[in-house]
Amino acid sequence: MKAFLEIVRLELRRLSRSKALAALAAVSLVWMFAFPHFVKSDGTVTGARELYVHFSLGGVFVICLVALAASAAGSLSHERAQKRLQLTAVRPVRIFTLALARSAALTLAGALVLALSAAVLAFNVDLSRPCDKVLSPVMESPRAEAEKMYDYYMASPETPDDVKKAKKSVVLRLLTQRAFDNYMSIPAGDTASWTFDAPEEGELAVRLRFTNDFETRQDVVGEFRLGSRNGVMTNITQAVVRVPLSERGGAAAGERGVLNFRNNGDAGLMLRPRRDINLLVKADSFGWNVVRAYLELVSILALTISFGVFLGAGLGRSVAVFTMVSVIFVSVASSDIIELYPDQLEKDSKDSVGLAITRTVERMTRPAVSFRPLAALAADERVEPREVASALAVDLVAFPFVLSLLSAFAIVRKQE
Amino acid sequence: MNENAIELKGVSKTFRDFWLRPTVKAVDGLDMTVRKGEVFGLLGPNGSGKSTTIKIILGLLTPSAGSVTLFGLPPKSVEARNRLGYLPELSYLHPFLTARETLMYYAGLCGLDRRVSRERTDELLDMIGLSDVAKRPVGGFSKGMARRVALASALVGRPELLILDEPTSGLDPVSTNEVKTLVKTLAKGGMTILTTSHLLADAGDMCDRVMILDRGKTAAEGWMDELGTSLEKFFLAKVGEGRDFKIAPFLLEAGGES
Repeated sequence: MKAFLEIVRLELRRLSRSKALAALAAVSLVWMFAFPHFVKSDGTVTGARELYVHFSLGGVFVICLVALAASAAGSLSHERAQKRLQLTAVRPVRIFTLALARSAALTLAGALVLALSAAVLAFNVDLSRPCDKVLSPVMESPRAEAEKMYDYYMASPETPDDVKKAKKSVVLRLLTQRAFDNYMSIPAGDTASWTFDAPEEGELAVRLRFTNDFETRQDVVGEFRLGSRNGVMTNITQAVVRVPLSERGGAAAGERGVLNFRNNGDAGLMLRPRRDINLLVKADSFGWNVVRAYLELVSILALTISFGVFLGAGLGRSVAVFTMVSVIFVSVASSDIIELYPDQLEKDSKDSVGLAITRTVERMTRPAVSFRPLAALAADERVEPREVASALAVDLVAFPFVLSLLSAFAIVRKQE
Repeated sequence: MNENAIELKGVSKTFRDFWLRPTVKAVDGLDMTVRKGEVFGLLGPNGSGKSTTIKIILGLLTPSAGSVTLFGLPPKSVEARNRLGYLPELSYLHPFLTARETLMYYAGLCGLDRRVSRERTDELLDMIGLSDVAKRPVGGFSKGMARRVALASALVGRPELLILDEPTSGLDPVSTNEVKTLVKTLAKGGMTILTTSHLLADAGDMCDRVMILDRGKTAAEGWMDELGTSLEKFFLAKVGEGRDFKIAPFLLEAGGES
């Protein structure tokens, strides 16, 4: 443990005396303070706050992620090239400890900079404002829905011939993607129902999102009912609507967990149940949400830094840094590449191989680049404690441990 | 109870390329024993396998064949490394650390607590004559000063076995003399010392016993007081003979165009 702490201290000294840590903190602070002055929101207070929370802390996180991951990839390989590593390697210290301590020190540096930025955020945003736990309707998985649709879709005369010739796995993948966006129609005067794992107690509200301009221009009039609660929605022109559900008093309770919506307007309503409707349960405060988001971001940072250390253990400095930065870039871009790639039917085998690689990278790096805690924080959605616990266990502890073992193996092999 | 500090039996090391094809056989069937408490010199011309042998002893390289033990323990074990100090040929210090921090860092790696680390650091800084500049980053030190810090950091864990690779390289005559005195003093205190050197006079002054390596094999081995001649003559007799040194003819031409 003493050796571990000495190596952590050494790495922090390296960062502070090379002025890298100070530069990182200065850039982060400038970003946090300057951001609101050059970005325009939609003009509403909520919009401005959402933008600020998402992109100010998000910007600092991206700066830390790229800078520290590149530093992680470069420092170990540089030390090996300078032969300083062998001086540590001949001491009574396991190489695994060396790699793990290196990751821990860089993570600590990133955690300090993020904490500074989170403090600035806390200074600018009301910490006591509430945040909500977000529940989605209980539905079958998009994949199961796609499998059910497959035969009907392939037999339909409207399905293009190109699609009919494509591989079943490719068509199923496309149908699964589309299942997220499947619309349901609620004609005027009709009632639609969705099931939620809703709690019996607490403040509840329904959130509806209308994601295109056409729908937001319509007046939507209707009534939500959940158990013994109801909420009325009327004359809405906003993109996101929050309808509080309150006790009806004396009315007969409906089926537990089933949310009904009666469309009382003149026109039909189109909704994507997987994306557009949620039940909100009042959770705790924005302050606690910042703490949870911070822990999750630090975990993601730890995972990325450990990977950088692993690259530095096995590769030369410039190659390791280039690979690390490329991996981050490809990871961030991969979901767009997969979604927007022109040859979605994978008619060309080269496209098929390329997309398979991109999908693998996307799947493996999704936790690190999804920035999910930032989106939740900005939208006042609770960063789920279960997600945080999982990030701490997997990204902050398990992966760095495994990657440090692999780094130790790579260092020993490289010495030979 | 193991009486030997270092024991190499039939050690060979073949380096391989990326495709695992053998490229160089740096050490070839080497047997070597260093007894506890002696100062042992590992000598040889450039490319004779000294550095490879040292790295094998330190556990930085795994031998292709044969066995190595330090105090009867595998060299890569933490227990063996607890008893080991190493001064490399170049100092390889962290340039941003001060002399004091460097010694404290290596003391920490040896598992010493802060109080003991501080005491030993102060004593070592005093010993190497750098107490006045203890708070200066070693990146700004001269080669000789850096060498002294590196030597002190090899000693901070009070090792039972000290491996010195060219210990007097880069030192002025006064510092060289001090290192030789230090080695003799440490040996008298029971420390085992293995040293390599190109400077045969220095090796002759420090060592009880020497081994001369040539092309990865033992060319000669003996006690200093049984050589019957100077170490330089002994060395040249063992590895210098048979080498055909020819001066490039153009260097012998007087004047001439460049």
